[in-house]
Amino acid sequence: MSAFLTYLVSGVAIGCTFALVASGFVMIHRVTRVVNFAQGTFAVVGGMTTASLLGRGLPHGVAEVLAIVVCGVVGLLVGAIAIGKPGTPPLASLIITLGLAIGAYGVEVVVFGDQPVSFAMARGATTLGGAHIQWQYFLVMGATLVTFTALALFFERTYVGKALTACSSNPYAARLAGISVLRMGLLAFALGGMLGGLAGVLITPLQPVSFDSDAVLAVNGFAAAIFGGLMRPGTALLGGLVLGVSESMVGGYVNASYETEVALALMLAIMVWRSARTPVSVEEAA
Amino acid sequence: MTGSVTDSATGRRTGRPTGRPGTRWVGGVAVLVVAAVTAVLPLVLSTSHLLVYTELLLAAVVTTGVSLLMGYAGQVSLGQAAFYAVGAYTAATMSLHGVPRLAGLACAPLVAGLLGLLVGVPLLRLRGHYLAFATLAFQLILLSVIGQQDSLGGDIGLRNLPRLGIGSHEITGFQGYAWVAWTALVVVMLVTRNVVRSRPGRGLRALATSETAAASSGVPVGRYKLVVFSLSASFAGLAGGIFAFFLTYIAPGSFGVLLSFQFVVMAVVGGLGTLWGPLVGATVITVLLQWLNGLGTQPGMPAYAPQVFSYAAYAALLVVVMLFLPRGLVAAGSDLYALVQRRLGRAPADETPPQGP
Amino acid sequence: MLQVTDLVVRYGSATALDGVSLHVDDGERVALVGPNGAGKSTLVNTLSGVVRPASGQVRIDGRLAHVPEGRQLFPELTVEDNLRLGAWRSGNRDPSRVYAVLPDLDRIRRQRAGTLSGGQQQMVAVGRALMADPDVLAVDELSLGLAPIIVSELADHLRALNREHGMSLLLIEQNARLAFHLCERAYVLESGRVTAEGSSDDLARSPEVARAYLGGITEQDGPDEPTAAPSAPSGWSSE
Repeated sequence: MSAFLTYLVSGVAIGCTFALVASGFVMIHRVTRVVNFAQGTFAVVGGMTTASLLGRGLPHGVAEVLAIVVCGVVGLLVGAIAIGKPGTPPLASLIITLGLAIGAYGVEVVVFGDQPVSFAMARGATTLGGAHIQWQYFLVMGATLVTFTALALFFERTYVGKALTACSSNPYAARLAGISVLRMGLLAFALGGMLGGLAGVLITPLQPVSFDSDAVLAVNGFAAAIFGGLMRPGTALLGGLVLGVSESMVGGYVNASYETEVALALMLAIMVWRSARTPVSVEEAA
Repeated sequence: MTGSVTDSATGRRTGRPTGRPGTRWVGGVAVLVVAAVTAVLPLVLSTSHLLVYTELLLAAVVTTGVSLLMGYAGQVSLGQAAFYAVGAYTAATMSLHGVPRLAGLACAPLVAGLLGLLVGVPLLRLRGHYLAFATLAFQLILLSVIGQQDSLGGDIGLRNLPRLGIGSHEITGFQGYAWVAWTALVVVMLVTRNVVRSRPGRGLRALATSETAAASSGVPVGRYKLVVFSLSASFAGLAGGIFAFFLTYIAPGSFGVLLSFQFVVMAVVGGLGTLWGPLVGATVITVLLQWLNGLGTQPGMPAYAPQVFSYAAYAALLVVVMLFLPRGLVAAGSDLYALVQRRLGRAPADETPPQGP
Repeated sequence: MLQVTDLVVRYGSATALDGVSLHVDDGERVALVGPNGAGKSTLVNTLSGVVRPASGQVRIDGRLAHVPEGRQLFPELTVEDNLRLGAWRSGNRDPSRVYAVLPDLDRIRRQRAGTLSGGQQQMVAVGRALMADPDVLAVDELSLGLAPIIVSELADHLRALNREHGMSLLLIEQNARLAFHLCERAYVLESGRVTAEGSSDDLARSPEVARAYLGGITEQDGPDEPTAAPSAPSGWSSE
């Protein structure tokens, strides 16, 4: 029983980190219809920047916030290149973000080195129902809950949030209303960057990140995001949890090395299942 | 004067010279020259350069498939190295179990193509970014599975593979493999050319612009996409098979995600949906990477320099090409040629300006 | 108020507008009629800045709001949210001034725009444009897909807005009868060129226009008398 609980809690925590990465995907895609391949990169930059700042003596709290801001700026940069030029089709933007993610490898190696880094956040653990649970897990879950609530409120209640939704809902009408679809898109990228950075800040104490960790994070985040069709943050959270828990269970009870395969296979299955329900014409109109 | 055919469906240049009959021979001569030069090159290159050259040709073979898939069928594959790996492992395993090497080599594209067919059925229902991630996921899964099979050598891979040959005649020198790769590229390009020109091929080009439009004009969309996907997989498989015999050692690590990205970069830079684009793209990338590698290994450069340079090169190329030369170098080249012709006053008055992608 | 001079718009190598000139004075109601593909929507899109002209001039004194063809709402958002987003430019997000003019919208304010009927959606689209506090309202294909009685109600709202608030109106319409009914002056646009212009009365009587757009009415027929305005809160009176 305690083993089950351990796997469950760690699965939920990891799932929360996937959900945070996923929320960045959703934020950007919802507004710009672009799938941002560099979403994993934001997480890596977030984690590595925090570790670097902490190493230079900055206190906890300041280092994390600063790292997240940096990620927001990075997100803005990625967005500017990916969608800044008018008339760039979304698939071209995808390839551009892929290129930028690769370029980021180079920058990360130069700035942070090519070794994995980690740092400690919430230290220690507690016992719950016989299971050994790190405090960091609770921190991750709490932060995720707060973030997703804030996201939901942002989209449902604020004027800017509604304008962002309008941009993807009907870009033509948004333009007529005077909403700059480009500026909203850049805002979405900046927010997506910060969400990715937050994910990285929370993940790194759990598992070290290095410059090439972004692929696995991106794939998992994407898998979670497609639960909600890349449009709804709430479903992305659910997706993240499902993924995290399944991976954890498979890793614990079957074989640790099959974790990624499970996530990927699950993602493929979901994508194929969803596409069977959406005719191509609907997607093309999108 | 020589222009290029602009496909009315996609606005894309097919890279095939055409125009007034008297000038068509210019294109034909150019092709012969390129063929001759590339065939003769192995005789003059040093061993280390031959290694690079052979890998360049193999990359061009795979990229031809990628370009076909992306340019004509409008599908993005970020996991093509998976089929490269499948081809390599097929040829390697079969030859290690006593199957004649040429048979093993012949099976490589077949197995890869078959796998492409199987995988394509569910995956090709996805579009755009979904397909991109799905192919990436497929590659990661495949590599992980291979890495855990002891019968395939696990993470260490398969060593001491036999050299390509028949009976006791073996190809031992690098030159031989360069020519084998050259032949493969010629075969693959001919197949592509014929596929593109055929009636199904024209249906393919319609696919790249709009599936809905293509489907409503009676093009069996699903089947064509599947055939192209399978074909591109078999191209990659063929290259992989040659690769296995050439290097005599393969491991999952040789077929990473970055390799798949490299093929995409080559396809994009050269020009999607053009016949010569893959070779141009492969050449540009390979030469650039070699030069950067040389730069990065100069005394005084930090150890990570070559790696970082290659990342920067991929990034810069993808971004610049996507933003400013979305139809690739071949198209840009033919546009430039047409521009020069116009300036020199030799263009026919009714030449239409190039359409956007 | 709105002055268009020799406007030329191209899409690639096709010319959509070939030297179009027209004007709408303060407080006028002007119609632009023509068949499908004449370039009417292109013209409005150029006026609202979505399309860039190849040459020519557009001069607008004040603000122009564009009610697009086919409503073009934000379907997942509520009526009220749709209206409030219309105020992005003007900054005045309070929709009560629009509810005052279009009281039906107040009743459906919390409904999702995608669930509304065509007529309701059209009203929301107009209301959203009004939130920008425009000086000129350009309405593209008001009548498209709507029942005549709904169209009539909407037309009355527009006329009232014009009379009470002095808002100029540019009505782009395939339905020439509606156009001449509602507007005092009209232009005829065909294949990117203005082929006729004049007062609605004159155009309605012109045999060419009648043949092409009005199903061949005789010269004795003229535009109908305006119908009674719908009920409105106090402070408003119909003619």
